[in-house]
Amino acid sequence: MKAFNIHTFAIKNLKRRKFRTGVLAFSIALIVSVLVFGFSFIGSVGLGIKRASDRLGSDLIVVPVGARGYAEEVLLESKVKSFYMDKGLVERVKKVEGVDEVTYQTYLATLQGLCCDIPEATVVAFNQDSDFIVMPWLTKAIGRRLQKNEAIVGHESSLNIGLGLMDAVLFGARFTLLGALEKSGTGLDNAIFISDENVEEILRKGKSPLKPDQVSIIFVRVKSGYDPYNVGRAIEGEIVEADVVARTDIGKDTINALKDINMIFSITVFMASVLSALLAWAIFSATVNERLREAGIMRALGARESHIMRLFLTEVLIIGCIGSICGAVMGTALSVLLAKSFTLFKNLPVDLTVWDRLILGAAGFAAGTGICITGALAPIQRIKKMEPLFVIKGDAA
Amino acid sequence: MTQLVLKNVSKTYLVGDDRIDAVNDISLGIEKGEFLSIVGHSGSGKTTLLSIIGGIAKPSSGTVLFEGDDIYSLDGDRLSKYRCEKIGFIFQFASLFQNLTSVENVMLPVVFKARRDKTAGDEKKAVELLGMVGLGDRVNAYPSQLSGGQQRRVAIARAFMNDPGLILADEPTGDLDEETEAEMMRLFAGMNEERGITFVMVTHNTELARQCKRQMRMGQGFQVP
Ligand SMILES: Nc1ncnc2c1ncn2[C@@H]1O[C@H](COP(=O)(O)OP(=O)(O)OP(=O)(O)O)[C@@H](O)[C@H]1O
Ligand SMILES: [Mg+2]
Repeated sequence: MKAFNIHTFAIKNLKRRKFRTGVLAFSIALIVSVLVFGFSFIGSVGLGIKRASDRLGSDLIVVPVGARGYAEEVLLESKVKSFYMDKGLVERVKKVEGVDEVTYQTYLATLQGLCCDIPEATVVAFNQDSDFIVMPWLTKAIGRRLQKNEAIVGHESSLNIGLGLMDAVLFGARFTLLGALEKSGTGLDNAIFISDENVEEILRKGKSPLKPDQVSIIFVRVKSGYDPYNVGRAIEGEIVEADVVARTDIGKDTINALKDINMIFSITVFMASVLSALLAWAIFSATVNERLREAGIMRALGARESHIMRLFLTEVLIIGCIGSICGAVMGTALSVLLAKSFTLFKNLPVDLTVWDRLILGAAGFAAGTGICITGALAPIQRIKKMEPLFVIKGDAA
Repeated sequence: MTQLVLKNVSKTYLVGDDRIDAVNDISLGIEKGEFLSIVGHSGSGKTTLLSIIGGIAKPSSGTVLFEGDDIYSLDGDRLSKYRCEKIGFIFQFASLFQNLTSVENVMLPVVFKARRDKTAGDEKKAVELLGMVGLGDRVNAYPSQLSGGQQRRVAIARAFMNDPGLILADEPTGDLDEETEAEMMRLFAGMNEERGITFVMVTHNTELARQCKRQMRMGQGFQVP
């Protein structure tokens, strides 16, 4: 025979009450999976947006009046949009007090068949002299600047286009594809990057609606000691044709909308947690008369209070752990599987890291086990305190 | 030293406004190795008295001394230790654990005894005890697979598991046939003679009571002559 002790006793109790054990473990699994799923959802959107805007490495973005939404769609959701303003604004922004570095990008939408031989994507023409957005990635990828008629693709579009392709025609001009940038977690992962030296040739071919001396977006770094919001306001005051978005405000509407979902969700999850705790309590209470007698007999046979406590806690912990682990796995699986079916996620280049998921899973596990223990504690306390004879006889009849 | 001394022990139950004096001012001394039988009508306080001795029901007044120690002045864990190591209780009621086999039920007192995993020796001893109560072939049966009398015998075997100095037996043979009853009594007598274990046994069987070295009669909570 295997060792026989409090723990094997607890396991036997669970095994021989399969239905009760199963119902409780299942309900814990459900609540934990809802928790994990819900917070994965909320977390990946919130974190994704924050990471993306941090990765851009720009304190402010300046876009044409009314194009703020478009800009966010390009930067966060990798939608293909074009919007333009006069290149002269770049110099004007530079002169505003507090502005440190400025660079600009021009966005061109490709249309398969008409101008280009690749699927729809945003082509980003950037200025390599002033750039601080793309250059860090570029340096990592090829260790040098882009030459004329060279292009490099974002991480995601490299998957779409296929790396085998060495050459592409963009807006009538032929480009050599040098490879792919590493994943940045921003919408630019879906873009194709070229140097803005090529703009002239593209204009000449006339296959793009772009007009001379136009840019789409200006990125601004603020001098240290200046508040980005104040500088942003100064730029907007100075240049009426432009809208300014601070880094921390990028994706704000999405995050705000999410806050409401988050709230509704949290309340629901809270109520469901209470429900599970009540269920744990009810199940343990329902069997408590039977368990009271058992506890009384154990006490009469010489068990200490700590023995009773350990027996019952072991049972609860095993149920809690099994339920929580299943729940954490279920919730994670659900969020991974369903992630792409949410419109919100479809274009957002967000993904929780394994680490994020582990933390969420662990939190769900702790919550589930906690709920189980909370629910079971009351009957355990009761059982512990009663006089053995009284409880032994209590149900004898 | 007298093994067990009861001094003016009383136990009163309060049921609403009613007071039920289940045990009334009982004083008693029991020497090691004695075999005492207690008889009395139903409701005369026998189980209550046994429970007081066994450390599972605190008397309303009076003291219980076991080997000189006032057991109800011990702290919780010490009292548990007393129940565990000194006393073997055979309850009047069904007291087996439904989720444990016969042999596990018999081994249970060892689980509460020490902070160590149970040895193979414990299992061997439990199986031996089951053999002694005639259940050597039912060691792995669950209580629900045993007859009432068989369950009772598992409980008897369990009482001996921790080698107690005192066995408290509450109608231990109540649901046994005459032959098995006689066997159990022989087992008790043997344990009493050979190992010097003290027995206090409640019984309704006056014939059985008469065979015991010493008898006591209870009526309405009092000791009656
Ligand atoms: N928990 C309790 N609350 C109130 N009264 C009780 C309680 N337990 C026992 N009694 C009363 O105490 C008295 C003695 O009970 P006890 O169980 O000791 O009798 P007994 O001699 O063992 O009877 P029997 O031979 O039927 O087992 C009875 O009158 C009983 O009704
Ligand atoms: Mg009785």
